[in-house]
Amino acid sequence: MAYKPQYCAGSSTVAANRRKAMDPAHKLTKLRDVTDKDIVLIMGHRAPGSAYKSAHPPLSEQQEPACPVRKMVTPTDGAKAGDRVRYIQFADSMYNAPCQPYLRSYLEAYRFRGIDPGTLSGRQIIECRERDLEKYAKDLVNTELFDPALCGIRGATVHGHSLRLDENGMMFDMLQRCVLDKKAGVVKYVKNQIGEPLDAEVKVGKPMDSKWLKANTTIYHSLVGSAYRDDAEAIEYIQRIHGLRVKYGFMPKEA
Amino acid sequence: MTEATFPQCRIITERLLNPETTERLLNKVVSVAGVRRMVLNGPRLPVTIPYGPAKGQANPHPMRKNIHVGDQEIPLQVHVGTVLLELENKDVIPALQTAIEPVFTDFTFRIQEGRYMKTEPSLTDYCKYGPNADKAMLGLADPNSKSRPIILQGIK
Repeated sequence: MAYKPQYCAGSSTVAANRRKAMDPAHKLTKLRDVTDKDIVLIMGHRAPGSAYKSAHPPLSEQQEPACPVRKMVTPTDGAKAGDRVRYIQFADSMYNAPCQPYLRSYLEAYRFRGIDPGTLSGRQIIECRERDLEKYAKDLVNTELFDPALCGIRGATVHGHSLRLDENGMMFDMLQRCVLDKKAGVVKYVKNQIGEPLDAEVKVGKPMDSKWLKANTTIYHSLVGSAYRDDAEAIEYIQRIHGLRVKYGFMPKEA
Repeated sequence: MTEATFPQCRIITERLLNPETTERLLNKVVSVAGVRRMVLNGPRLPVTIPYGPAKGQANPHPMRKNIHVGDQEIPLQVHVGTVLLELENKDVIPALQTAIEPVFTDFTFRIQEGRYMKTEPSLTDYCKYGPNADKAMLGLADPNSKSRPIILQGIK
């Protein structure tokens, strides 16, 4: 029988959403249309329309050593062109954000190539070649993995994941890179991801409503969402792993 | 040193407060007789970016405003999430509850009794203020801070 990956354990909606996010066969729903130029502006690595700076000559112009692995692996567009490595970093609120740091690293590893994700408790950074990054960043922002109010694109000063939301429903941001335009109901980025002011505001769409967030969140929260302890399958799984790890030194044998 | 007999409480809100709501809340708090001292707690909103690639640049922030409480103007330095209070006696708490209830129409709040401000001077307090420290200052701010408390006059 062919191997079928199971992605993640759990019988709750949260676990189902995590599986959907990780499964490359599941096409992520596109919810907003942030343009390439806007993504470039928010990330702030280069001026929109300018040429990509390179870290080395294109692979086609290089004398590559004879290496079986290099023959096997097709380089990504960015690697082919010799682009610099650049990053995008997300902070996700624990109040029902549609994505969260650990999951981001898992899903990026399943869906993208040539990436180096770094996972922390409240934020997650992904590094890769610049033109690949722009492609991936667009997927991460335009699809169901992003909510303008509860996910922030933050290169530095990321604090906000575990804080209460503000009265407008936005996650705390010391640099207030994005603000809610109350009249239009749209979130606008007024600074790039490291906090430098942008010449023009970048609109990233309306925050999703609480019903959608509750149905699409990938983080457990006992007060505003579904509690981890209510997910019997996830608990059973984690207890089994925990038990086996504790007993590892005693050569565990399952009955 | 703060007299240990003075009870303390804190107001915790479900959401971090906008400056307008903070202003309304504090004006309700100062209208209640028997509040001795007050600390606004929350994540800090610095005027300039303190670290990172944009260090030193201005940090305009819509939540950092001047608010008017009683007869004083208060420049907010934090995004207020908790208000710590020192009271004359415990009887103030029900009055406080009644006074601030109208402020919270869209979300909830809670008043908790406990010990939230410093009651003994720490070593740093001693280094900064010496043996004859102003008792009203202890526990209000970080001893390294240069800011002074704002005194709301004419409440009593």
